Amino acid sequence: MKIFYIDTSSSYLYIAILKEEKCFEIKKKLGSEMSKYALQEIAELFKMANLEPLDIDKIIVVAGPGSYTGIRIGMTFAKIMAYTLKKDIISITSLEAMAYSLDSKKVIVPLIDARRGFVFAGVYENSLNILENQYIKLSDLQEYLTKLNKEYVFVGDSSKFKELKVQEYEPDFLQIINIVKDRAPISPHAIEPEYLKLTEAEENLKGIHYDN
Amino acid sequence: MKDIYILGIESSCDETSFSIVKNGVEEISTVISTQIDIHKQYGGVVPEIASRAHIKNITFVLDECLSEANMTIDDITAIAVTYGPGLIGSLLVGVECAKTLAYLYKKPLIPVHHIAGHIYANNLVKRLEFPLIALVISGGHTELIYMEKDYSFKKLGSTLDDAVGECYDKVAKVLNIEYPGGPKIDKLASLGKNTYELPIPLNDDSYNFSFSGLKSAVINLVHNEEQRGNLINKENLACSFQDVVIKSLTKKTMKALKDYNVHNLILAGGVAANSGIRNKFTELCEENNINYTFPSIKYATDNAAMIATAGFYAYLDGKRADITLNATSSCELE
Repeated sequence: MKIFYIDTSSSYLYIAILKEEKCFEIKKKLGSEMSKYALQEIAELFKMANLEPLDIDKIIVVAGPGSYTGIRIGMTFAKIMAYTLKKDIISITSLEAMAYSLDSKKVIVPLIDARRGFVFAGVYENSLNILENQYIKLSDLQEYLTKLNKEYVFVGDSSKFKELKVQEYEPDFLQIINIVKDRAPISPHAIEPEYLKLTEAEENLKGIHYDN
Repeated sequence: MKDIYILGIESSCDETSFSIVKNGVEEISTVISTQIDIHKQYGGVVPEIASRAHIKNITFVLDECLSEANMTIDDITAIAVTYGPGLIGSLLVGVECAKTLAYLYKKPLIPVHHIAGHIYANNLVKRLEFPLIALVISGGHTELIYMEKDYSFKKLGSTLDDAVGECYDKVAKVLNIEYPGGPKIDKLASLGKNTYELPIPLNDDSYNFSFSGLKSAVINLVHNEEQRGNLINKENLACSFQDVVIKSLTKKTMKALKDYNVHNLILAGGVAANSGIRNKFTELCEENNINYTFPSIKYATDNAAMIATAGFYAYLDGKRADITLNATSSCELE
């Protein structure tokens, strides 16, 4: 089984190919140059693995949440590859990827800065999602965790959370892929980003308001 | 010569479109998914909503285009894509799609400027004859372009502020006409009389345009009339407004044709669908013995057929991009 994994939801490009038991990977900070260089890196990864895209059996794409523009780069590649080459595809969330990468007996709380005191977060225990991934006020999340009354660890980009103790996110591709790889594939047409938040224009139209 | 099939991709604003064009003249299939109904409720295009719709639609639209043509990507000679100008988030989806296809199928990748696309929409009506002057009028552009031959563009002038289509949209807004207001103003204008006095903007000898002063003049006029408790005659105001727009566009364009001794004119862009503008140019061109071509109404607005067509001539001209092609919100036509 050959699996291709892609995550462009943050300022880092995380791509990997699992070829039998061997994992080829690239982790690279591309920031605003994601659209320019992601595909070049993907091409490089296939060379490293000595494979053609056609050899891949399954695609795993990270659907977000995270950078709206970033998500769409990897997702466009994954959808077009799955559709044209008729490959199986599944999507997972960036929060899952973060939770599965951490080896801990504690409750794991992946979080992504969503500005204005809000985060995209979920709560995971033994790889099970116990608080649904959502756009949530950081203080509300902390209140939930206090009530949960279990030992927990935050994982994410620590530079974005100066006041919290956050374990730096470093994807463990092998671990992530092993947990999700047997999920049933869905149609590439149905694969969509998971922004976890409407656009501001939609929120205004629907009268959705978040208290700061 | 072997037939050349170009797959065109357009996603610069609120239309996701794919098209296959043979040899730059024969349209094989074109699919356009428009988001007008989504953006209508916001009174204009919301960039993030547009980007979200593009990624949602992209494989459906590609699938429909290939099925209609009864072709696969293997049958395609090269991939052409709008890389700019436009909404960056929207452009990125199309550009990433094009790069992915070029990479997966080892096909040449051709970057196409959106305006080159609008100009070449006319090539699907009638083969372009050179030298020509192109007047590009849309929601984002107002430009006069001189073309000596295929895929050679020299900008003579452009708007110094608002694009003409943008001006139509803003005037429509102050008259409480639903987005997109351009076609509705055109219709109202045909029913009215020129009774309101409005200034002709940038009435000089340059090839440049200006529409923000005209927009403000209309907005002020409406507000003043409202304050005086007078009812606005929408038909007449639309007519007066459109007359001024037409005067400005025709004056500069006819001058360029004369100065450059050119006998071929083409109109391009969404506003080229405006009947008032078409009628006046038809009249003037016939008077002055100028050959003229207008894009079909269907392809005046954004579509991928024009990108595939322009892409064919760019391909012949040797234009290529590699997989580090990036989208850009603003860029010069060259």
